[in-house]
Amino acid sequence: MAARRAAGAGCAWARGLLGWARPERLLASGSVFPLSCIHTSTSLEKLGKWERKNRIVYPPQLPGEPRRPAEIYHCRREIKYSKDKMWYLAKLIKGMSIDQALAQLEFNDKKGAKVIKEVLLEAQEMAVRNHNVEFKSNLYIAESLTGKGHYVKQIRYHGKGMFGIMKIVRCHYFVKLVEGPPPPPEPLKTGFDQAKEYVQQLRNRTITNTL
Amino acid sequence: MAAGLGRLGLLVCRQNVESLLRPARAAPTCLLVPVRTKRRFSVPNWNREQSLEEKEKKLRALRAVAPEEHVERTFYLACTAAIIDPYVPPEGDARLTSLSKEGLKQKVEKFKQSAVSQLALRKLKDHDPNFSTKTFPEKAQEIFTEAHNCLANFNKQKLHSLVTERCYSEMVRGNRYKTIRWSFVESLEPPRVVHVRCDSMVNRGNLYGQVTVRMHTRQTLAIYDRFGRLMYGGEQVPKDVLEYVVFERHLVNPYGTWRMHGKIVPEWAPPKDPIVKTVMIPGPTLNPSQEFEEIK
Repeated sequence: MAARRAAGAGCAWARGLLGWARPERLLASGSVFPLSCIHTSTSLEKLGKWERKNRIVYPPQLPGEPRRPAEIYHCRREIKYSKDKMWYLAKLIKGMSIDQALAQLEFNDKKGAKVIKEVLLEAQEMAVRNHNVEFKSNLYIAESLTGKGHYVKQIRYHGKGMFGIMKIVRCHYFVKLVEGPPPPPEPLKTGFDQAKEYVQQLRNRTITNTL
Repeated sequence: MAAGLGRLGLLVCRQNVESLLRPARAAPTCLLVPVRTKRRFSVPNWNREQSLEEKEKKLRALRAVAPEEHVERTFYLACTAAIIDPYVPPEGDARLTSLSKEGLKQKVEKFKQSAVSQLALRKLKDHDPNFSTKTFPEKAQEIFTEAHNCLANFNKQKLHSLVTERCYSEMVRGNRYKTIRWSFVESLEPPRVVHVRCDSMVNRGNLYGQVTVRMHTRQTLAIYDRFGRLMYGGEQVPKDVLEYVVFERHLVNPYGTWRMHGKIVPEWAPPKDPIVKTVMIPGPTLNPSQEFEEIK
């Protein structure tokens, strides 16, 4: 019965195979330009939301206001790595200063560490050159996220005519650098704090329709 | 018996042996056909090495058969690429008061003495009869003020009509994500025309006229970066500025207008104020074994 079910499933799989097991066709990056066109820049490609965050311009600050810290957004798309594995590295460096993050990533054995290090260095360079950041070490990582990239499905051949469907997995990595010293880590909640909160909750209870 | 045969005997013996080997039949006269058993390699004619002259001859022949089609894209030259014969401002300009003798000498319009400027002025008046060195500087100052106001407000369309393409790129570069606040306080001296040049580009009759106007004015400038932080200058700090601004017009074009083309910065000009932030200049790259003190 298991064999029959497998056979039935095999038919459905076989039908489905024709759907998405086609040879991978890369997305046509940009449109076809006519020969006589001078403009051949990448500006016609669709920009992602994270890249567009670098384009907002704030109005000039009044003399009394505190200085607004510079925020630099940078990302890398379609990295050949798993988003779940990349998440561990992203969580590692969140909240660190940029020098500390670079040091940690340099001596980390994972494949994603090298990629993230490159991204951080690029972002630092961009910050100093384009976004008027004065000291390149005066940056800390405010946000560091991973996202799912485009997946491609392929057949993985096993013995006895069995096959599995393999996913070629890609991820995006996003980082936001903010100028200034890194914020101090939040103090851990002790038992005493939790007890205080509990008691306070009890005290906040009211009895309705009374004085 | 063999010894007794001697040489004759040997010959006879050989002939007998030969006749045994080759029976004397009537053999037909055979054609000698060379049989090529070994395949010899030779470079074909079209692939052998040719000298430079042969190559050129072949290319010339091809050019006649299939001429290169020029994909023509027309473009229109609305302005020249540089300042023709830039004016060299005299040293110490605007440093001396007009009451002293040297000041008076400077005040005397040297421009009138320069012959080339006079010729160019005459050519200008041929194409544009309304041009006058007395009324032009005021108009020029208006164009200058308007152009800078447009730059501060990012009014690109109007800026293109007030400023040539070359000047536009110089003005706008690097300012896309910045806020500029500029204001014109007053003019310290009346502007005057200092230098006139006329030149043609590409074809002989295609004339462009360039006029340099000397302006001594008071302005305020403040540049804010993307986050609204002050990068340069100050809004309440007026500065005295002596500038030699070049205006250009495409004379042959009846609808051409006078537009700002560029500025001449003399060598003796005072250095500009430093920007608010500190910039790191990278030092020499060291090998792992070297120390910085050694190189110093």
